[in-house]
Amino acid sequence: MTQPIAHSAVSVRGVTQVFTVDGQTTVALAPTDLEVPPGQFVALVGPSGCGKSTLLSLVAGLRLPTGGALLCNGEPISGPMPQRIGMIFQEANLLPWLTATENVAFPLKLRGVPKRERLEAARRMLELTGLGDFADRLPHQLSGGMKQRVSIGRGLVQDPGVLLLDEPFAALDEQTRMVLGDEVLKIWSSTGKTVLFVTHNLSEAVYLADRIIVFSARPGRIVDDVPVDLPRPRTFSMMSSERFGALKDRIWAHIRDADH
Amino acid sequence: MRWLEPLATAACVLALFGLWEAAVALGALNARIAPAPSTIAPMLVELLGRGAVLKSLGVTLKEVAAAFLISVPVGFFIGFTLAEMPGVGAVFRPLVNFLFGVPKSIFLPVFILIFGVGVEQKIAFGVFTTVFVLILGGISAVESVPRELITVARAYGASRWQVIREIYLPAMAPILMESARLGMIFNITAVLLAEIYGARDGIGYRIAGWGESLQMPQLYAALAIVATLAIAVNELLQQIENRIGAWRQRPA
Repeated sequence: MTQPIAHSAVSVRGVTQVFTVDGQTTVALAPTDLEVPPGQFVALVGPSGCGKSTLLSLVAGLRLPTGGALLCNGEPISGPMPQRIGMIFQEANLLPWLTATENVAFPLKLRGVPKRERLEAARRMLELTGLGDFADRLPHQLSGGMKQRVSIGRGLVQDPGVLLLDEPFAALDEQTRMVLGDEVLKIWSSTGKTVLFVTHNLSEAVYLADRIIVFSARPGRIVDDVPVDLPRPRTFSMMSSERFGALKDRIWAHIRDADH
Repeated sequence: MRWLEPLATAACVLALFGLWEAAVALGALNARIAPAPSTIAPMLVELLGRGAVLKSLGVTLKEVAAAFLISVPVGFFIGFTLAEMPGVGAVFRPLVNFLFGVPKSIFLPVFILIFGVGVEQKIAFGVFTTVFVLILGGISAVESVPRELITVARAYGASRWQVIREIYLPAMAPILMESARLGMIFNITAVLLAEIYGARDGIGYRIAGWGESLQMPQLYAALAIVATLAIAVNELLQQIENRIGAWRQRPA
């Protein structure tokens, strides 16, 4: 029996990104390699301007790299692949003139899914994220946490295999952040999606991820690849364990060194 | 209570008319310059029954509508172009800003030389005055579109056309509607001014005539008609604006 070739869910091969603004060139990302197997939960951490968000927008197909190649399930990423890769943004970025349901249905609308069908799918998604009662609210009528739930629903509505989250909880308070983190874990463990999660919060990274990729500041490059060997399901009490602290210390050492 | 406030507003207006009536009756106000509301009201009814007056109103309404229908697409098109093409914008935006600040009334003699005193001149002057409001409105509408939302649409696979239809248009709609409403106020003012300055017909032309011949009841009745129409148009546009821009309202 021949085994099918197992592709990484996301492959980053020798990817570089150089920006030129007013004749000034900045290397946002030095040659970077990263293989993410299907179903893995990867956190990307590092100081500001280390290229972790740049890498995420490259995987999302929002920009093309200066050099190297990006693949999703072995296929080159040459632009957004919304049915395979769902993106969840910082600050939720909902369309303020659409209701919660319409926002979740937005990716389906762009794909030309008939109205009744897409609104039904969106409503089911809102039930799933606990927002069933707020389906017809406009974004300005929702709290920060609710908005981010809607945004997560929007990212999941096409059932993509890969989920990109760009500092999704940065604007939220600590409690909401914890609750939504658990929610993302629940969705991840029940669907087996591959997750790339950019965050500034080291505890959040250790708590959520299987593996933490640590970036250094300009030029952005990977300085450590940390497997998180804490058991699942993760619990709140693990955060005070010795192992948790040791992992955080290891990551912090890189970031502290990079920041001068 | 909600209904109490408009009621109070109405009471204030009525009280003002009452004061006016009393002032004329007591001789505090000269009835030749400011006739009492009880003199103006019947005149208002009479004017609305006169075919010639209604025809003049119709001429003015047509001029206002034509100038508006020309100004809106032209102004927005120029505004969008200036906002979306940085090179062109850098050259022409200061010019638009300067011209917006110049009182347009000083150009009326020029407009008469070019277009005469007919309907065309009123429309041309209306467009000339209104279009600047709409150009500036078009520019700020484009600039108000949040870049992040364009990124969201692109990440979910939106085409160029979908970005315009799903992000640009809804994001800009309330600001476009708002500048259309402001433009309409400028437009009505410009057309009436042009009619008062020199015309063959139109309600502004009648108002000028009644003023010159000191026919005060007619003058005030006409003012009431024009004011009511202008308020109605403004309110209508405001209602549309509120509906389109409902999503902009902050939670209380």
